[in-house]
Order: sequence, then C-alpha cells, then structure tokens
Amino acid sequence: MSHLKCGDITDSLLEFVAGRLDGAARARVDAHLEACSACREFVDAHRAVWQSLDAWEAPPVSPDFDQRLYARIAAERSWWDRLLEPVRFATRHRWPIAAAAGVIIVAGIAVNRYALPDRSGPASQPSISQAARQGASIQLESLRPDQADAALRDLEMMHEISESPAGAPAAPPM
Amino acid sequence: MGGATAALDQDAELMLRVRDGDSVSFDALLRRHRSSVVHFLIRMVGNQAVAEELAQEVFLRVYRSRSSYSPTAKFTTWLFRIATHAALNALRDGKHERAQESLDAVSEDLPARQIPDARPSVEQSMIRQVRLDEIRRAVLALPEKQRAAVLMHKYEEMEYSRIAGSLGCSESAVKSLLFRAYETLRERLAAMA
Repeated sequence: MSHLKCGDITDSLLEFVAGRLDGAARARVDAHLEACSACREFVDAHRAVWQSLDAWEAPPVSPDFDQRLYARIAAERSWWDRLLEPVRFATRHRWPIAAAAGVIIVAGIAVNRYALPDRSGPASQPSISQAARQGASIQLESLRPDQADAALRDLEMMHEISESPAGAPAAPPM
Repeated sequence: MGGATAALDQDAELMLRVRDGDSVSFDALLRRHRSSVVHFLIRMVGNQAVAEELAQEVFLRVYRSRSSYSPTAKFTTWLFRIATHAALNALRDGKHERAQESLDAVSEDLPARQIPDARPSVEQSMIRQVRLDEIRRAVLALPEKQRAAVLMHKYEEMEYSRIAGSLGCSESAVKSLLFRAYETLRERLAAMA
C-alpha cells in the first residue's frame, strides 16, 4: 500500500495539496509521503504556493453591476418593447398566445395599410419616420408564430424588469 | 449521464425557467454567479473595470441564449466557457496590456492608499502588498489557458471535468495545464515563500 511509485500518485498530489481528496485517496498519499522525501518536498513547496494564492482576494463587485446589466438588457430589448406595445394588455390578461400573436399580425397589417403614406404618391425622399414605419411593418408581417411567442415572453420579462425599483434587480414575487 | 447531471443542476432548472420567460430565475442566476464570474475575470485580465465589462457581456450572452438553451452540460461549465472565451478574446484584443498598466498603477498607488493609522503595521502592510503584487504578476504572466485552469481550480474549486468542459479540452490536458502552471508559480514565488 505504501509502496506506490511517485508516478502513480502524481495526479493526486495537487488535489492532496488542495485538500480535495477523499479519505481513502488521502490515506494512500499520506502513506506514500512517509516513504518518499521527493514527493514530500513537492507537496510542501506547492502548499506554499497554494497559501500564497489565498492572499489574492478579489475586490467586491461594484454595487451598480446589476443595474447596469438590466439597463443594457432593457436597451437591447426596447425595439421589441415598442413593437409589442399593442399586445401588452393581452399578455397581462393572460390571453392565449395565439390570440396575442394574431393581434401583432393584425396591427402590422393595419399599420401597413392605413398608417403609412400612399405608396403611389411622390417617391422622392421619404422622411425618416416614414422609413421607420415601413421597416416596422415589414418586421411585423414577417413574424412567425414562434417568433411572436418568444417576443411575448421577452415583453413580459422586460416589463417586469422595467417596473422594478431603480438599482434593484427585477424580482417580482413568485 | 448528461441528462442525469442536468436533472440535479439547480442552475439548469433556473435557466430553463428563464427560457420560459421567468425574470425572477434570471435574477437568481445572476445573484448566484455574479461574484464568481467577476472575480474570475478580474484575475484573468487584472483589471476590475475591464472584468466587470466582460462579465456584463457574459450575462448578456446568457440572457440572449435563453431561448435556445439546452441543459446538455452543467450550467456553470457553460457559464465559465462563455467567461473564458470573453477573457481570452479581451486578452487577444490587447486589453491585457491595459490591465498590466492598471496593475502598475495600482502598485504605485498602494503606498498612498495605506494610511499609516497604526504605525507599527505600516512596514508589514507594505511588504504584504508587495507580495500580493508579486502573486498577481506571477498569475497574470501564466499562459492564458494555464491561467484560466488555475483560477477555476484554485478559486472556483472546479473539478477537472468541469474545467475541461469550460476550456474545451480533455481532463488529461487539464491535469497537464495545471501541473505546468503550478510548477511555474512555485518557481516564481519560491523567493517569497
């Protein structure tokens, strides 16, 4: 038992130094160390390294870390937030997802048909807002049901985040 | 085995709830892993501001990946794989040079920060800071993968298999990385031990 070769326990020595060996494995290494001065020296040297590394304590995370993260998430998802504004009511009142998705599509068609300027009119230099509305309607119409489903989930999550107090992570009651 | 492991992984369960739109679960994941990810990145790049920026990217990526998340590996293995990639990319982009400059700046600042309230301990305090600086330099001088392996092994107490999963290599490769890294640290820190 104690006549293990050094090569047999090399892999275990670092875990021994780390104090992460279970009872039987630790006993095997202990027995070997009693008989092997080279491995004993290795363990002593690496214990010193291990203890030195303990001195490197990382500083605490900035208190506004979560706030900054949620702000970035909110900014990233704000396009969805604006796009799905008409269906907020539906999602809050637990309408079926399919119905909510239908609202999106109908809203997209309505915006496209009635709110956008007459496409037969002068085509020169459309305004930025007109271009944006055209882009939004194209995005609305191109939504597949699974995308609409994902968008609704995003909307609910981002809504909860945006309603949480400033500086506090979104944590509505379960 | 992967499925059984995932069934026991509370983090994976939380992530699945995030996938289903539960913001509370995302917040729970953030609380559970924020410190370890930030601390890992601080020790990887040597600069807290850069590390926190990278950590934000890591959690943003977790959030973005929620709809396609599948618990094929332990959540923390996946999380640290993202964090490791973020750190390695930052180091390759040259942010480590800024980190090194920052470390130098910290070293220069240290004596000034140590207000000599307790006069007998000033010298000891300065010696300790010098030693700490040496330790940080020794770790930051390790090759990137060795450094990541040591940080996950030493500070995150990760098993070889999880380190391997995070680094995208075999367990035997992790053992080799760790052995070489700790030997290098032993040589560099021998003078101060």
